[in-house]
Amino acid sequence: MDALNRRAFLRRSFGTVGTLALWPSARALGANDKIVMGVMGLGGRGTYLAERFAERPDVEVAYLCDPNTRRFARAREAVEEAQDRSPKMVQDFRRMLDDKGVDVLINATPDHWHAMASILACQAGQDVFVEKPLAHNIWEGRKMVEAARKYQRVIQVGMQSRSAPYVHKARDYIRSGKLGEVHLVRVYNMMQHPKRREAPDGPVPDGFDYDLWCGPAPKRPYNPSRQWLNQFDYSCGPIAGDAVHQFDLARFLVGDPLYPVAVSQTGAIRSLRDGRDMPDTQMALFEYDGLTMTLDASLWTPYMKKIPASIRDSDRFPDWPFCSTKVEVLGTEGFMVFGRHGGGWQAYDGNCDLVHSEFGRQADKEHQDNFIDCIRSRERPTSDVEIGHLSVLPFHISNISYRVGNQRLQFDPATESFTNCDEANQYLKRQYRSGWAIPENV
Amino acid sequence: MSPSFWRIVRFAVVMLAACSAVQARWLPTHDVKVRVEHTELGGPRIAVEYELKDPNISPESPAYVFLRYSKDFGDNWHLVPMDALQGNGFDIVERPGRKEVFWWGTDQTVVPDPEQIEVRVRAIAMARIPAGRFVMKALPGGGRDESRKTGPDTNLPLYHMAKYETTVAMYADYLNEVGGEGAGWNPRMARADRCGIVQQSNHTYSVAPGREDYPVTYVSWYDAMGFLRWCGLRLPTEAEWEKAVRGGLYLDGDQTKARPNPKPERRYPWGDEAPDEGGVYRCNFDGEDDGFERLAPVGSFAKFASPYGICDLAGNVAEWTLDWYSTSYHVGLDGFRTVRGGSWMAVPEGCDAVTGATQSPLQESSIMGFRGVRGPAVGP
Repeated sequence: MDALNRRAFLRRSFGTVGTLALWPSARALGANDKIVMGVMGLGGRGTYLAERFAERPDVEVAYLCDPNTRRFARAREAVEEAQDRSPKMVQDFRRMLDDKGVDVLINATPDHWHAMASILACQAGQDVFVEKPLAHNIWEGRKMVEAARKYQRVIQVGMQSRSAPYVHKARDYIRSGKLGEVHLVRVYNMMQHPKRREAPDGPVPDGFDYDLWCGPAPKRPYNPSRQWLNQFDYSCGPIAGDAVHQFDLARFLVGDPLYPVAVSQTGAIRSLRDGRDMPDTQMALFEYDGLTMTLDASLWTPYMKKIPASIRDSDRFPDWPFCSTKVEVLGTEGFMVFGRHGGGWQAYDGNCDLVHSEFGRQADKEHQDNFIDCIRSRERPTSDVEIGHLSVLPFHISNISYRVGNQRLQFDPATESFTNCDEANQYLKRQYRSGWAIPENV
Repeated sequence: MSPSFWRIVRFAVVMLAACSAVQARWLPTHDVKVRVEHTELGGPRIAVEYELKDPNISPESPAYVFLRYSKDFGDNWHLVPMDALQGNGFDIVERPGRKEVFWWGTDQTVVPDPEQIEVRVRAIAMARIPAGRFVMKALPGGGRDESRKTGPDTNLPLYHMAKYETTVAMYADYLNEVGGEGAGWNPRMARADRCGIVQQSNHTYSVAPGREDYPVTYVSWYDAMGFLRWCGLRLPTEAEWEKAVRGGLYLDGDQTKARPNPKPERRYPWGDEAPDEGGVYRCNFDGEDDGFERLAPVGSFAKFASPYGICDLAGNVAEWTLDWYSTSYHVGLDGFRTVRGGSWMAVPEGCDAVTGATQSPLQESSIMGFRGVRGPAVGP
């Protein structure tokens, strides 16, 4: 099949689910077989993941993929140095899906591509490592869970903190009852982002398949200064995209509560008025059964710092008052402050005395190890797709609340929809471009 | 003071002057003589004479000359401060010929015994980039604005930029002088096909045969800064880098405006033609059709230099800049820096004047190198 006809075939396949069952099943992996991967999305995170997996003796990175060919060089060089073998460079990820020798899709794309590419990979018999946040919207997250289960695929979400030993120690400490009954958890994500410098629409640069980059999202005129992260069409937003790490940790610490029954939120663009349509300030309150979780989030607070590299992998704690990515767990008898990125945690009793300290380390490697182990064992990974879905879902609700005028929204877990606001239900799913729709039945 | 009073205490011939014909991109300095002069009232001063023969040296293509000295028989070397020098042969030197430099302030606070001092003179080919406006199309964070003409923030003062990327031989010379167990060196630099600097057992460094003129690679941002501080230079800002590619609105600067830039919005250093247009290969990009499977010796595409005669801004190695990467994901966190210019692994269009990439400053890569700039101080 020549390239043009082949592409036409593949593009049609997005809209005709029945044909997707023709995708081959995963090849049988021997104990000593290398796991063959294709990496989709060659930005900073995708390149990092490609390099880390290529360094493993049990992995070969066979493909690197990005619609923008200008991104090829850096990732290719990193992979070649790591595995001493050249990967194939492609713009269209469907070439990787078409290759029966590929076992795994690493999906490090913008949010609007997470679901479609991951679902197609499942249908092609490939396991998936997908970056957080799991999905662009609630409905797509559920479809990813359904695809993973239906095709018996492993989907690990890039929420690596869940694999860190110090996190497990914190959960055990809380489980032991030393904080008493935990009824309140505060999650922080206080960042400093620059104001975007606006430019007019312009020509699509040579070597960039912009149509493919847009994929299921609206194809707006190309604008070189547009940042997908700040636009609802392409993203869950810079707050959800980062805070989901802490929120996932918070859920883990208190036993992974499933769904909030209601979410109140106030969001606004307070400082970064630069054409974005996503809030730069969000305060949210998530009502779970017997538990309240809150989010304090901003993008204009320079004194709040992410935990620096010098602390992340050392026996030191961050400067808690100015730690931008902390979690506070409040119990009836004690209090815990907890840091992402290996920041460790400290617990205080009812007299404000420090009663326990635990240093931390980052856990990227442990998370990748877990993914590889699960590919071979077929067990569910540490950050399984459903965990990813339930950790980002509250942010989707919060964003929807913002879009409907900061209303308090009640959520029905059975239908994953709102019971008190029809307008909100229109944001559960997005509109798809013709030919790029994810079907109801994946 | 009569010449007879002068006492020549040491002749320090710069080692690199004896290297290959192109001097591995140090400009050759000949007949270097160092002597101590005991002035009547001003204390001792050190006089350095040398010959700069390259006939191509001119105000537009000057040499940057810096002096380094040792007062402990070569164990430790230091940059001679430019503000302690007088004469016609230091900093930006615009004419070839016999040069004489006087280093004042060499009393016992600097050199207890001036007669023990050793001095090395090195020179780098530079290009003059006159003050004035230019068209900058790169946006912070890797974006581009092709509609842009010029704006209030695209006016730069005079600066000079190295005509060539820093070479393997230059960097090895630096390593040998700073010594130590590997500061600025990493084992991957020993790869002869992509760099070629080998660490010997006594912590000296040798260059793999034939690699002298290739751009140094596997240098982190910090490595690049270390080398340039050693020289008295710094990395270019992104704006300086982009102006070097396109040229200003007037190639002689906004003051005289005698030489309008025929293509102030050019896409590449040579113009708008793609790097491989018409079967002509204008820089070193991905593949071997351009004559180089991997890296190319610096200056291999001199015919396609920028309007200021600066070579290899497109392709070969992407070049570190001074700028912080500034998009929402990285500000204030990782200290990422920006590299510009495409590389031998880049697609042809990735070698243009706008494309940039972000990198951790710790990243050491076979597709990244650097060059120096002499210009006004730039804030952090």
